[in-house]
This record gives sequence, C-alpha cells and structure tokens, in this order.
Amino acid sequence: MKKSLYIIVVAMMLILAACGSTTKKESGTDTDSASKKTEKAEVNLYTSRHYDVDNELYKKFEQETGIKVNVIKDEADVLIERIKREGTATKADILLTADVGRLYRAKEDGLLQTVSSDILSKQIPENLRDVDDMWVGLTKRARILVYNKDKVKPEELSTYEALTEDKWKSRVLVRSSESVYNQSLLASFIEINGEEKAKEWAQGIVNNFAQNPEGGDRDQAKAIAAGIGDVAIMNSYYFGQMLNSTEPEEVKVAENLGVFFPNQETTGTHVNISGAGVIKGSKNAENAVKLLEFLTGEEAQGEFASANYEFPVNENVEPSELLKSWGDFKEQDIPLSTLGENNAKAIMIFNEVGWK
Amino acid sequence: MFMNIKNLQFTYPKSPLKTVDDFSFAVEKGEVISILGRSGSGKSTLLRLIAGLEMPLGGSFTLNGKKMFCDQTFLQPEKRGIGMVFQDYALFPHMSVEDNVLFGLPKMSKKDKNKRVQEVLELVELTGFEKRYPHQLSGGQQQRVALARAMAPEPELILLDEPFSNLDTDLQVKIREDLRRILKKAKTTAIFVTHNQNDAHALADRIVKIKDGKIDKIGRPCDLLGVSPTEIPGMVEITYEELIGV
Amino acid sequence: MNKYLANVNGWSIAAVLIIIVLFLPNMSIVIGIFSPASENWAHIKEFMLLNYIKSTLTLVFFTALFTIAIGLSLAWLIAQYNFPLRNFMKWALILPLSIPPFIGAYTYHGIINYTGVIQKTLRNHFDIVVNPAYFDIMNVPGAIFIYTLFLYPYVYMITRIFLSHQSASLIESARTLGKGPLEIFFRVVIPISRVSIIGGASLVVLEVLNDYGVVKYFGIQTFSTAIFQTWFGLGDLESSIKLAASLMGIVIFILMIERLLRGRKQYSYSTTKVRPLPLVKLTGKRAVFATLYTVVIFSVAFFIPTLQLIDWVILTFGKVPMQDVLLYTKNSVIVAGLGAFLIIVFSLVVGNFSRVVNHKFAKVLPKLTVLGYSIPGVVVAVAVITTFIALDRFFAPVYQYFGIDSELVLSVNLFMLISAYIIRFFAIGYNSIESGFDKIGTDFRDASRMLGANSLRTFFRVDVPMMKGAIISGFILVFVDILKEIPLTLILRPFNYDTLATKAFQYASDEKIMEASQASLLIVGVSTIAIFVFHKLLREERE
Repeated sequence: MKKSLYIIVVAMMLILAACGSTTKKESGTDTDSASKKTEKAEVNLYTSRHYDVDNELYKKFEQETGIKVNVIKDEADVLIERIKREGTATKADILLTADVGRLYRAKEDGLLQTVSSDILSKQIPENLRDVDDMWVGLTKRARILVYNKDKVKPEELSTYEALTEDKWKSRVLVRSSESVYNQSLLASFIEINGEEKAKEWAQGIVNNFAQNPEGGDRDQAKAIAAGIGDVAIMNSYYFGQMLNSTEPEEVKVAENLGVFFPNQETTGTHVNISGAGVIKGSKNAENAVKLLEFLTGEEAQGEFASANYEFPVNENVEPSELLKSWGDFKEQDIPLSTLGENNAKAIMIFNEVGWK
Repeated sequence: MFMNIKNLQFTYPKSPLKTVDDFSFAVEKGEVISILGRSGSGKSTLLRLIAGLEMPLGGSFTLNGKKMFCDQTFLQPEKRGIGMVFQDYALFPHMSVEDNVLFGLPKMSKKDKNKRVQEVLELVELTGFEKRYPHQLSGGQQQRVALARAMAPEPELILLDEPFSNLDTDLQVKIREDLRRILKKAKTTAIFVTHNQNDAHALADRIVKIKDGKIDKIGRPCDLLGVSPTEIPGMVEITYEELIGV
Repeated sequence: MNKYLANVNGWSIAAVLIIIVLFLPNMSIVIGIFSPASENWAHIKEFMLLNYIKSTLTLVFFTALFTIAIGLSLAWLIAQYNFPLRNFMKWALILPLSIPPFIGAYTYHGIINYTGVIQKTLRNHFDIVVNPAYFDIMNVPGAIFIYTLFLYPYVYMITRIFLSHQSASLIESARTLGKGPLEIFFRVVIPISRVSIIGGASLVVLEVLNDYGVVKYFGIQTFSTAIFQTWFGLGDLESSIKLAASLMGIVIFILMIERLLRGRKQYSYSTTKVRPLPLVKLTGKRAVFATLYTVVIFSVAFFIPTLQLIDWVILTFGKVPMQDVLLYTKNSVIVAGLGAFLIIVFSLVVGNFSRVVNHKFAKVLPKLTVLGYSIPGVVVAVAVITTFIALDRFFAPVYQYFGIDSELVLSVNLFMLISAYIIRFFAIGYNSIESGFDKIGTDFRDASRMLGANSLRTFFRVDVPMMKGAIISGFILVFVDILKEIPLTLILRPFNYDTLATKAFQYASDEKIMEASQASLLIVGVSTIAIFVFHKLLREERE
C-alpha cells in the first residue's frame, strides 16, 4: 500500500518535472526561482487590465530596475479567488484591477497589505488612495454622456438624474447591468442619494431605454449614429478609442457625437479607477512597491493618458490633448471604497427594476 | 482423456436460468465434436467458456493435462493454446491475409513463419492470396482464411462457432467437406457449434445435443440422427429446429 | 471465482484512477448543491433564476433544433450523393468549428452593425440608410443564429461518419422497396441515425449551456449570466457554485433522457462486414441545389466571417504588436496537442476498461465526466485550483524532501492547465473513442486473444489500428476545442504564458474586435490545418 503510494508520488513528480521544464522553456520565465540558489529580482502580477501599453510599461520597468515582471491576466474576481485559495503560499505580489470595487473586495477578504511609501503618497492624491493605504489608484475613467449633435443641444443635458425625465423616453442608450462600470455608477448613487433614490433612478432609466441593453460601450455610441437613441452613457476612454479607431467609420460616428460631463453643478461626474494593491505575505513586496511607484510616476502616467485615453492620477501629468479638449470637470466626491461596498446592492437593484 | 470438462456452470448476469448447467464432457485427441442445439440453448456460451472468453461460475476444465480452470485458477484465453473460428470470422480488416495468419504465430524466425503461412494457406487452398485484404475475398475464402489463421499456431484444440451460417447453401456442402478433410489431415481436435443437423452429421465424429444448457444426448451421428437426409435422394434438408421442434 | 475481481489488473486500476481524478474537481462542485443558502439566495431565485432559465431553454431548444436540421441534412447530402464540390465540402463543412462562437458573434456584429461593411457600403455608396432594427443580431434569435452556425459541425461530423459507414444495407433495402429520397430521409435516415444525432446535439447543448462570451456580449441573460452575476457582482461564490451544481443536475437529467431516448435500440452493427454507402450522382437542378445549399452554409458559417477577420487583420496591420505571434501560436499548438493527446490516451484506457468489464457501472461512470463540460469554464477552473492547491498541500513533505522551497508546485505550472483541459474536454474525446469501440465490437479482440495475444498486444495491434478513424477524429475535436478555450487558459496558465485564445480575448474583452482579429485568424488557421490533415489521414486510411 505504502509502496504504491510512493510510486504514484514519484510518477507525479516526474510528470511535474517534465511539465515544469516545458514551462520554463516555452515562456522563458522562471516560476520557481526558489529552486535556484540566487534570488532573481522579480515581481508577480495578477492583473485584470489587458492593454498593450501595460506590457510596454512593464518592459520599461524591467529595463530600468532589472526586476522581472511576471504576469497572469484574467477577470479580477477570478484572480481574487485564486489568491484566496492559494492562501499564504500565493506567488502573487500585486493585484491590479480595472475597477475599484474589486480592490475593495480584495481588501475586505484580507488579501492586501498596507504599503507605506512617500513616493506613492506624493504621486497620488489622497482621495485616490485607500484610507489604510492598501490600494492605490493608477488611472481614472469618467462615465460620461455622449449625444447626437443634431438632435440634442448640450443645454438640454444636465445630470444623470435628468435622464429619467419623460422627455428622454425611448432615447437613452446604455449597456447591460453586467458591466462593472454601470454597477459602480449605481453604487455611487446609493452612496450619494441613498438606496431608494438610486432605485428610482435605475427604474427611470429603464423606462427611458431606447432599446434593451446590448453590446459594449462603443455599441451605444453607434446606436446613436444609427438613430436608435439620442444620448448614451459610456466610458470616457472607449470614446477616446473610437475617435482614434482604425476603422474610419467609427471615427466618423464618434466625431458626430458630443461629449458631456454630467452633474457638474451638483454631485460631480462619476469616476472609477484602475488600481492596485500589494498582496499580504508577498515575497517580493519591495519590488511590488517599486513597480507601483513606477506606474504612478510621470513617465508611465503620460503613457496611460496618451495610449489609452485614461485620466492620469498623478497631478503633475497632463491628460492627453484629446482629454484636455473636453475640459476640466468636477468629479464625484465620495470615498472610492463605497463603490465596492455598494456593488452587490447595486446589482440587486438592477435585477429588481429589470435593467438587463 | 485429452480434454475434460467437469460440472461446468455459467449464468449471464440478470438471467434467471443457468445458461450452462452442470456440464460434463470429455473428448479424445483428434476427435471432431459437434455441439448441436437451437439458438439460445447455450451452445455458443459453452464454446466461449472453453475458449476462456467467459469466466465460469464453477467446474473445472483440463486440456492435455493442463489446467485451464478450476476453483483456484483461470487461464487467460491467450495462454490456453486454443484456436477459434468466429461466426463472422473476425478477420482483421487492416491486415492482409498473410498478416492475419502471421498474427497468431509464436516467436520464431521469419523464415519459419513464412513457411508456416504457406503451409496453412496451402491447406485451405488459398496460396496466392497472401497480399489480399479480407474485404477483397468472398465469404467462403474469408472463412478459409479464418480457419488458416486459427490453425497456424498449431493449437491443441480448435473451436468453430457456426462456421457455415454465413455461407450459401451450395458453398456449405463443399466447405464442410473441405473442413473435415483439413481437420483430419492436420489431426486437429475440434469442437464446432451448429444449429444445423446436416452440418453436424457431415462433420462430426460425435454429436453433443444440448438443450437449456444441459446435455440432452451424446452419440455418433448415425446413432443420433440416422442416415443423413442429404444422402437420401429426394429428401429435403431439415434443420434441427424442425427435427425436434415437433 | 468473482468475475469482477478477476478483471482487476493494471489496466482497470489505471482506468479507475483516471475516472476518480477527473471526478474530484467536479465532485467539489456537486457538493456545493448541499451548501446552505446564503442571504442572496432568495434574491437570486426571485430575480435571476426563473427568468434566466426561460431564455436558456429557448437558446438550447432552438439551437439544438437548427443544428440538427442543418447538420443532418448536410451529412445526408455528403454521405449519399455526389455533386460538384462535394469532396471539398466534405471536410470544409467542419471548418466553422474552428471559429470560437464569441469571436463569431463579435465578427457578425462587426459585419452588420452601423459601422460594419454592409451598412457602411449602403450608406456611403448608395446613400441608403437602413432601419437598424433589421440589422440587430444582439438578441435571442441572433444568439441562436451564431450558435447554430458555429456548432452545427458537431452534428454534421458525427452523423456523416455514421451514415457513410453504417447505413448502406438499410438504405439500399429502402431503395429497393421503391421509396423516394425524401421518404427514405424521414423514414429511414432519421430513425437510424438517431443515436449519432443525439450524440452530436448533446455536445451542442452543452456548449450552449457553458458559453458565456456570446450571451454576455449580446446582453442576453442565461443561466451562465446568473452564475457570473452571483459571483462577480454579488461576490457570492458559494451561491454561484450552487447554481453551477444545479446546472449539472439539469445536465444529468438531459443525459438520462438521452439514455432513455436511446433505449435499447442501439443501432450498432458489430458485424465485421461494414461496407461504405455507394454515392448516387446528382445531375441537373438537383446537383445545382445541393452545391448551392452547401456553399451557402459554408459561406455564412466560415467564409464570410473569415474574410471579415482577414480584412481587419489588414486594417490593423502594424498597430497590433506582432513580435510574439509565433510564440503564442506555438504555445497554443503545444497545450492543445498535449491536452488532446493525453485525453485520447486516457479515453482509450477508460474505454477499453468499460468494454472489458462490461458492467453497467463501468459504462455509466465515464459518461458522467461530461459534467465538466456542462458548466462555465471559470467554475471548473475554481474547482481545479482548489483541487490542485489541496494536492500541493498534500505533497508538501515530498517537495521539502526534494529540496523545493515552495509550497505551490503543481498549481503554478502547465501541469494544472493541462489537467484542467483533460477534466473539461475528456467527454469529447471519450465520446469519439467509445463509439469507435462500439463499432469494432469485441469479436476482433476475442479473435486476437484466441491467437495468443495478451491484452496489451491486442490493444496496440488490433484495437488501436482499427480505431484509427475514431482516434484521429477525437483528437482533432479536442485539439480544436482546446485551441479556442479561454476561461481555463486565462486563470490556470503559468506566469507570462499567452496563447492565441488569451490574446484574442485580451482585445475582444476590451471591445477591440479588430485588434483581436490577428489572434482569431490564427486560431482559425491552425484549426483549418488540423482539420485538413485529419481529412487527409482518414482518406488515406480508407484507400
């Protein structure tokens, strides 16, 4: 009995060794550097951002510091689950997400650790950092309104709330409630206006739908062009991408639309962040902090802004020309962690009012 | 005795009745035995038990002094040295005639192997068909290849499962004569299963009639069945079913 | 003497071990069904479940219906008739399988949306502005359209192989009884190919059930949506596993119905005289119709989307980093090839075991591995991670003994990913292998053993060569499936390991479908080559 167990173990080790060696060969990485005597400088990143510009920045970081950046990309929730299950043994050093709600969740689950870095404090405004310094913002995206210049005068637009008025019946376009951007939008309203008001708003938008939610953010803009609706709620950076699309028709569509930052007179435009935190028990915590400092530094922030049409968090960095042309705007003034806190509630409201 | 079966028992799972019930039987070397019975009588099962393709519930079986099975042992079919010709021949479709025959040959030099292939093909009168594939042969030729393949390793016993059921009537008569000649020439002990009393009559030294998994009668063909009906001019062939069907 | 004990040998031990290992992660999900309901459960039940089940059933029912209609009619045309382009269509009609449905969905939406080629051309060159409602596929009928196009090959492939090899005598006898082609089709072809139709359609149904990409993009709420909303949105993984477990329950139910439908009428001819169906040559109008029909299906399901992908590759040329494309392709081919190879080997071991033991348990057990295929990949991924981390903990003393200074070994390299593929796609390979075993029956095996060959020699000299067709087709199906697999690959891959599928997903998930075209097209290309080689190999075998 014991003998057979031993045989199984040895057999598994052999297979494992075979697999391990292919891993190394194929990916050119070293996932178990510990087996080598000399510590190789590296930092392991679990990220839900998957932009080419990110990869370029990691490469640059590697060149500057000699610290190798290893990456696994997937949806934030899946990554969080993997870290949870790996427990203290996890190889992850940084969790990077495209939504603050997920960082909040990771923090709640006790996956993150406090980071104290003067550089980070200097580079990132306080409101874009966690109160316990467990996560920091990297980039900002605003949830803006775009409208058909022919049918809507900018004066007619004012707030997110105003879109629930009768005059917008069958004119409002927005994607499904499965989008985390909509969830955090509603979560912010729960924080600002209370649950009841937030539900009324969601119901009002559903009543004014130009069509059942379908497609992504870009599709909402296209639906305006196609005449299905007149005003759409979408993310700033998708709109920036459309204006610079490789498909000339998309550029044409975007050029015919106006950009409007809602709630300027009242509570401010909804902003979500892409952010990152260092994993509790990280074996490369120092390197991890270095990477965060690099990503919020002026050079990287400039890259984010110009290549991806995101708003930089570092106040020393100007947004790209395009973003600047949309002018300064007032942001919602609520703790970002509330977006995470209210996320589940937001989803329940969406389900209750039938926002698909 | 050359082959000895004692108290053989077998039941298919979930079957209320015993498929083979307390079967005892002995065969002498070189004998050709026919097991005659209607379909469902357990005759094919009996053959499969002898071959080792089914595992008996009880009983014992020795062949040429070697224990094939008893309470403690069960010899796997490939170790028994028994040859078998299947009802639909089961010639490997991906192998030529030659390869089919070669398949069963024990380790020996290539020259000896080829010699043996030639011998058995000659025996079944199929010299020149080595490179053909089974689907390029007629039914009678396929049957003879199956026989050659089964005989090539010189088994101590050869089993034939309904060897003529897939052949035309004309062919049957010719082939069963050939078969008897081949078996006798090679001095092979053989057991074949059939539901046709004419086949049994023409081929066998002894006939075992079975019914419901039990031996009904054993005897020489002429004792059991009288004169073969085909030997009496003007008499039609009747099958065993008709004979005992009443 | 115990019949079952006597069969215990290395072979059956290996088979049972494989089945257990395949089951462990699935079991961890099934157990979830018994976990106590969380506070979210009432909400899930009231607002998600009931509505979502309706749309899921609609999708499943109509997709199954249309894939059967298209798959069977094509299989029948190709198996029985000769017409222009038939020899090309015979294998080309499998090609839509190489396009992942979600890429197909993005591509079709890309073609027909406002900035797509159709509306664009009409608007800019002919000054025609169309009603956008006519060009909306982002709804339930649209999803059915997408699923049908890219999944019908399952039905086509399995049914065609059956019809061309197994049906000759039945169809010929129907012909001699003076039945016309239509009557033969409905009264003979459909009934005799029922098993393969159901086999193919159940793969389609499972694919629809586990898909999340298409419905998410189209904004359709299905059972998968409920699973994801509960996990990602409500942060309640327990409830979402509970949902997944209920989905497994539904699948078990479907499988039982399949068994019931199949009943005892297994039209399997284990005679050794299987003869191909001779082709009837079509002429005139009928030939034109046959060719036209296959050309239309091929174009809509493969040619047009591929053309669009090519167009996008050209459009985005130079804007998408290309230096590592070869590496991704190599990675894809390696994991898909390795996964498919292991699945086929394991399927052969288990299939042979199931055949030899010939006990109900040994027949049904491997079937249950299909459960891993029925639920969204991410849920399987969680189960796999859990299992592997548990394994790593179990082996921790062994690692220490070997001087490995890490607690996670198995769960951080390719081993986990490949294992996950095996757990997920085993059923696909096994289906093929099992039908191969069914087809050859046990006579050849018995014959071989009567000729003195032990089971190992029999296996390699008789079983494997005779099942070459089933082995190759099983391999290709799994290979293509792994090539386009996304959720498992994303989370279970080692650091910095990218495949074509993860690359395509990276862009598509960010609404950059044009940038995703490069990787997508390569998936299509590699699959096409694989399917073509498969076709060639099979043909050579027959000649």
